[in-house]
Amino acid sequence: MTSPKIEKLRFENVSFKFDGQDPVFENVDFDFPMNQMVWVKAEHGSGRSTLLQILAALQMPTKGNYLINDANVGEMSFEEFLPYRLAIGYGFDMGGLIHNRTLFENLILPLNYHKVLSPQEAGERVTHYMREFNLTKYKDQRPSFMPGGAKKLACLLRAVILHPQMVLLDDPTVGLPQDTALKFFDLLETLRKEGSLKHAFVSSFDEKFMGLIENTEIFIEGGLLHALPEMDEKKVVSL
Amino acid sequence: MVVRLGQTVTKNLEYTAEIFLMLYLALRAGVRDQAQSFRSIYQVISAQVYFTGFQALPLISMLALASGVMVILQSSSQLNLLGGAGMIGKLLVAIVVREMAPLMTALVVIARSGTAVASEIGNMRANREIEALESLGINPMSFIVFPRLVGGIVSVVCLAIYFVVISLLGGFLLTKLIHGMPFQFYADSLSQAVASEDLGLFLLKNVFSGMIIFSVCCYQGLSVQRSPTEVPVATTQAVVKSILYVVVFNISVSTLFYLNQLMTLGVL
Repeated sequence: MTSPKIEKLRFENVSFKFDGQDPVFENVDFDFPMNQMVWVKAEHGSGRSTLLQILAALQMPTKGNYLINDANVGEMSFEEFLPYRLAIGYGFDMGGLIHNRTLFENLILPLNYHKVLSPQEAGERVTHYMREFNLTKYKDQRPSFMPGGAKKLACLLRAVILHPQMVLLDDPTVGLPQDTALKFFDLLETLRKEGSLKHAFVSSFDEKFMGLIENTEIFIEGGLLHALPEMDEKKVVSL
Repeated sequence: MVVRLGQTVTKNLEYTAEIFLMLYLALRAGVRDQAQSFRSIYQVISAQVYFTGFQALPLISMLALASGVMVILQSSSQLNLLGGAGMIGKLLVAIVVREMAPLMTALVVIARSGTAVASEIGNMRANREIEALESLGINPMSFIVFPRLVGGIVSVVCLAIYFVVISLLGGFLLTKLIHGMPFQFYADSLSQAVASEDLGLFLLKNVFSGMIIFSVCCYQGLSVQRSPTEVPVATTQAVVKSILYVVVFNISVSTLFYLNQLMTLGVL
């Protein structure tokens, strides 16, 4: 299955709220910056994870439209959105690994399920990443028996295992040593240079770490999304 | 009082409609999902058959044997007194094949596997595994629900057949130690009593019981939102609702079957 090129992401009058809670977003109109590493900033509980979940179509706006390449995601079935889904990698802040499968099976699952590569090539890619990030010793272990940092890293690696056009990373540095986090961002850079990765959205509180990485910032405040103008001039670096 | 009754009925109808919707989506996704190969769900189906079917054999054996002994012992002694020993086959088909096997099997499967399925899926929701599958482009309806439904239905039908065999054969062998009933007489009586409509009723009850149990349990598991504390509540609800739906279904089918028989005989 070939994935369409993701060129434009747009919120049209988007509102979102969880049942019985205050709205997270209210009437947001926003064109997301593309071909960049975008740092999503916000106070605790202001909707950073929710924003990434909406961008990944794991949550649907309660009002308004989320458009990819001007196509309304809310009107697409699971099957219709699938080509886009395969072009988007999502790294969970916590959880998300399949508990009744080993680390190797977790990583190889999307490659084999969607038959992106031959079983042998898929195995080689997974083995390569596990070796690069020192995860080989956990290869046959289930997530419950792995340390937290290894689980987090596995979750991040699974987000890029399909070599997506866009990655959405929710708090990627939490629970990871800085050198491992930097190594992961080096991997993103390699994928960008190879031409597969185009857009990255990273939510993080880690000012120190994110300060090391060239990015543009968007900010969630009062249920609205803002692009930080000074950042547009100073820090925007095209991926 | 009337308002509360109305609310309860509406709530149950809504719940039933949601179960049917999930069932439709799971069957549709299972059949139409082009990415999903049979190999990828074979593992889940075979695991479901192993846990639901194979591992339940000792418990089913015990229950089937006990039921068989009780029914054969009681009915043969009473029928001998009344001089209708030849009716034993008809009585056994009516009680064991049509009623006891489907209901007892369903109750065992609910207790053993329904709870396991509801809590497993509930925990997957709480651990965000379902969300992760979606993010990987894997439809949980075809990857999680569909194989459990198929495995569950196959297991329930096989267990019910096993229940009947053990109940009728094992029950006879144990009863033979007490009563001196010849096997030829017993086998003839049974073979003359079984009709094609009995097999139809047996299959109908077991296939739908399996579907009901695993639909309800999967639905309850998927109804968990984020917290692990919701899992025990969802599991309890899965058991209660499964029993309710299976019992109501079995009573309804039996009632319709006997009304039809009475109409065929010209009594109604």
